[in-house]
Amino acid sequence: MSSRALRQPLVLRITSATFLAVWCLVAAFPIFWIMVMSFKSPVDAFSSNPLNVIFGPSTRAGGNGLSLLDIIFGIIVIWATVRIATKKLPGMVEAYSPAGQKWVGWVIGGLALVLGFLVTFFAILPAILDVLNPMLGPLGRDIIGLTTEHYKTVWVERGFSNNFKNSMIVTTGVVVVSLTFGTLAGYGLARSGSRLAFAILITALIFRALPHSVLVAGYLPVFISSSEWLAPILGENAPTLYGKPFAVIAVLVAINQPFTIWMLRSFFQNIPAELDEAARVDGCSHFQAFRRVIMPVMWPGVITTGLFSFLLGYNDFLVTSLLLDAQNQTMVPAIAGMFSRETTTTDQVVAVAAAVSITAPLFFLVMLFQRQIVSGLTAGAVKG
Amino acid sequence: MLKKLALAGALSVMTSGAWAACAYENTTPLKSLSAGFEAWKAVTDAMAECGNFQASLDQEFREKQPEAFAAKPALYQIGGVANSTMIPLLNAGTIRPLDDLVAKYGQHLAPNQLIKVDGKTYAIAMMVNLQHLMYREDILNDLGIEVPTTYAEMIEAAKKIKEAGVVDYPIGGTFKTGWNLGEEFINNYLGEGGEFFTDGNMPNINNEKGVAALEVMKALTEYMDPEYLVSDSTYVQQQFQQGKIAMANLWASRAAAMDDEAESQVVGKVVMAAAPMGSERPASSLWWDGVVFAANMTDEEAEAAFQVAMEGMDTEMVQANNDAAVWLIDGFTAGPLAKGAYETAQAGTAPYPGSGPMGIMHTVLGNGISDYLTGAKDAETTLSDIEAAYITAAKESGLVE
Amino acid sequence: MNFKTFAAFVGPSVIMMILFIAFPLASVLKQSFYNTKPIYETVEVESCSPGFPDQICVTEKKSVPKLDDEGNIIETTEFVGLQSYSNVLELERAWNAVKTDGLIALQSIDFWKALRFTLTFTLITLPLVLAGGLGIALMINNATSAIKGPVIFLSLLPFIITPVIGALSINWLFRGDGILTAFIEWYLGRDVSLFAQAWTIELLMMLYRVWHVAPFAGIVFYAGLQTVNTDALESAVIDGASRWQRLKYVVIPHLTPLIVFVSMIHLMDSYRVFEEVVGFSSQGYVISLQWLTYDFLVPDQAGNRSVSRASASAMITMIGIAILLVPLLRRTWNDHKGGH
Repeated sequence: MSSRALRQPLVLRITSATFLAVWCLVAAFPIFWIMVMSFKSPVDAFSSNPLNVIFGPSTRAGGNGLSLLDIIFGIIVIWATVRIATKKLPGMVEAYSPAGQKWVGWVIGGLALVLGFLVTFFAILPAILDVLNPMLGPLGRDIIGLTTEHYKTVWVERGFSNNFKNSMIVTTGVVVVSLTFGTLAGYGLARSGSRLAFAILITALIFRALPHSVLVAGYLPVFISSSEWLAPILGENAPTLYGKPFAVIAVLVAINQPFTIWMLRSFFQNIPAELDEAARVDGCSHFQAFRRVIMPVMWPGVITTGLFSFLLGYNDFLVTSLLLDAQNQTMVPAIAGMFSRETTTTDQVVAVAAAVSITAPLFFLVMLFQRQIVSGLTAGAVKG
Repeated sequence: MLKKLALAGALSVMTSGAWAACAYENTTPLKSLSAGFEAWKAVTDAMAECGNFQASLDQEFREKQPEAFAAKPALYQIGGVANSTMIPLLNAGTIRPLDDLVAKYGQHLAPNQLIKVDGKTYAIAMMVNLQHLMYREDILNDLGIEVPTTYAEMIEAAKKIKEAGVVDYPIGGTFKTGWNLGEEFINNYLGEGGEFFTDGNMPNINNEKGVAALEVMKALTEYMDPEYLVSDSTYVQQQFQQGKIAMANLWASRAAAMDDEAESQVVGKVVMAAAPMGSERPASSLWWDGVVFAANMTDEEAEAAFQVAMEGMDTEMVQANNDAAVWLIDGFTAGPLAKGAYETAQAGTAPYPGSGPMGIMHTVLGNGISDYLTGAKDAETTLSDIEAAYITAAKESGLVE
Repeated sequence: MNFKTFAAFVGPSVIMMILFIAFPLASVLKQSFYNTKPIYETVEVESCSPGFPDQICVTEKKSVPKLDDEGNIIETTEFVGLQSYSNVLELERAWNAVKTDGLIALQSIDFWKALRFTLTFTLITLPLVLAGGLGIALMINNATSAIKGPVIFLSLLPFIITPVIGALSINWLFRGDGILTAFIEWYLGRDVSLFAQAWTIELLMMLYRVWHVAPFAGIVFYAGLQTVNTDALESAVIDGASRWQRLKYVVIPHLTPLIVFVSMIHLMDSYRVFEEVVGFSSQGYVISLQWLTYDFLVPDQAGNRSVSRASASAMITMIGIAILLVPLLRRTWNDHKGGH
């Protein structure tokens, strides 16, 4: 809409920009604020004075803080990393990675960058600053209270890395299985005008309306006793489904199927049927047509739908908290477990740090994929 | 920074070295399922020192335990329960009597630790918990107020504190709708000497004692933060720590946090005393937490599980975690923090009357009382609606004909 | 496409849905007409628990379920017809209350209280989400391309945040003297207790939901805006259509399928409102239908659960959603017939 006839008056543009700024503030503030809280001592984090939360006097009194110098150096390192990532890295990947396997280059390059950043930021930088700070007087004095101890508690003492691993297993499983089944079904439904297809769609929609708590509570006794009722079929190897990630993946995939097939169906409907019909005239079966003609052009829609599946698997609480045991616990139920009968204020700040830790991967994911989300949606992944 | 880390690492190695002294080397794979608060963490950590042991500290344990213990074989050998959560396991016969194991490996247990039903020991208790009065000694001394011994005196004191303008809301209370609010009513009703049921599990709360209990609760809310219907014990504790309240009838397990320098601004100023008296008993109820053992496992597993549990609940563990709970285990030194708990218990506090009907009663009380506190219903209507809700639910569960 | 190929494509997905949704759904439906309970007998039991200084032992009559020879609880299942539905709806009590005190008296009965809130919540948030989403979409579309990326990223944050964490954040930011309450207090110059009365909690719950869902609507609409026919817009300008008219006659009709889609998703999700009730601990003031179902279902500490009533309540919730969706479904049906 760049045409001159559609150009807007200044007043409108300013109003629009102001509202946009306000909206961005509203959207980002809560997340920003809990991030700030996670770096403070319990007294500061729950202070009702915002300045105390930001500057953290009691955290600083506890000997944890950042000086002006620390902040400047920190920003320089972060800025440099971003520069390298956006300007240098693509070129280096182009130059050094083997032809046709650029993704290997990206993986290696990305890992190297992350590793380099971590070493510089958490090992080299503190060492340098420990020497510099005392020499510089007022510049080197702590001005902002900041402590990473809650993150240490979360990741080291509470073994959050295990929960993180479990989350990754469940989420990856959900995304892969959900998309495999979903693309097949979505394609089938899009290309069939039969009444049955429509009936399946409407039934799926009604399934989506089910209150999940009812479904999930029904699974628990069945899953726990599964080795007993599966024994006649599978013999001694009958597994106990309770506590197994694959069982949870299956449940989450099923719960998510209605939404997935609706989205993918409308996406496939926007791919002209002539494409695969032409392939069929050339003697391909439906499956060959799907593989050769549809698969190459379906990725925008699949990525968008996959992101929704990812969110569902990653954010789920109801299913994972009930059907997984402590050893296979994912991150979201684990954070709820931090609120027990004896929750202290410190525990709450630890939970804040855990909450930020859970949100961070989502943050990067959206940062990476936001363009694909929009293009997938534009290409018709949702069409009523 | 790095030096600190290394030091912390060295320390943790040293402490774990000290811990590794588990007298029993376990070779049977064992698992436990319990709630996740600090005392359980301490006990299960100590059990893990014996090897081959995995603890699940799970918030959903209440929902999972009955099913997991009913599986054949049971998914967990050791379970953590309290007064009420033992009921479903006991009813279903999925936990085993422990008398022979106690005779063999549990001679050192105090008689108080043996939870008996019909003469047989079914659980080994490790700690107790109850509500008692916590107050700001400095505020009461400044205003020349005696330590309150009843709710009437507590309200009187609250009035003076509010008039003096020391704090806005002198009283704190765990009045969050649901389990907490139900528990508050139960404490008060027990304090009035009430009985919850008549024959045939019929409800018996719509009477003078029930009304009296409700009226006390409403009178207390006058001096509470108006957001009392969302305030749980974590929140009350935080209000105490931030110096926003002066008195509360709060769980004994919360006492230690008042003196935690990292989060409390009132270190050394909060003193524990007996819970306020009702007309017959203190407005409090005595809870215990302890371990049970699955019926659906072999006797060899049971022997191993029992020995591991005994190692987890030993004197050494108590000495390392003295302030984490009011332990029943030998070796516990009752500090000033436990004073209020002992006084309350000795004043004749009733044990929480856990039973099938009580489970339903607690839930309907927790859901129903807020209507009275917000002024939507009067006391009699509230109580009769709660009784009606109880009967519907109890009929569905088969407890009432 | 013949049936066999169709079945092969759709099969895996349908089997998953049958196994994990249709079966449980059928059993929920069945359970809503039946009632399963143990057979209790009354026995006198002495039970002992810790006391100070000595153990406390009490002898009392207790109801204990009977066990069979293998040690399992003996249960009876009986057909109760619509009894569970009537226990949830409490029609008689509701009717009496209405007769004496008018409609407002329904507030004293759980189901009607929950229905009132659920409907209010759904019907108020729907237009707000649609309008908010459209607003966000138009604003992003208006922004210069340099900041579009970051703006889309920020806008998506409320949508992607884990619901449990969202609910916790509310507690951290609003409860007691949380930072946002402190801000409101500073702004109004008086003490504010957002969790002390029903209407403020309700308002907060709705605002939270709009904050959480509007970005989703926004991004979907924004994607739709990318395909608006520029020629149509330009000719509208030449015809002298005002900005508002262009929005009304060109842009919105183009977005209609998306509006229907978003409305459908939002109606389903908000009719099942649950996380907000738990997150805001609003049970003392307002409850929702799905919370009611959950409350029946979750076992109390002694292990009792009201499965029949929970099933009936779940079925009633589903029927409610189905009724709300009828107009939208009819549209989809017409499209489907037209499309093939």
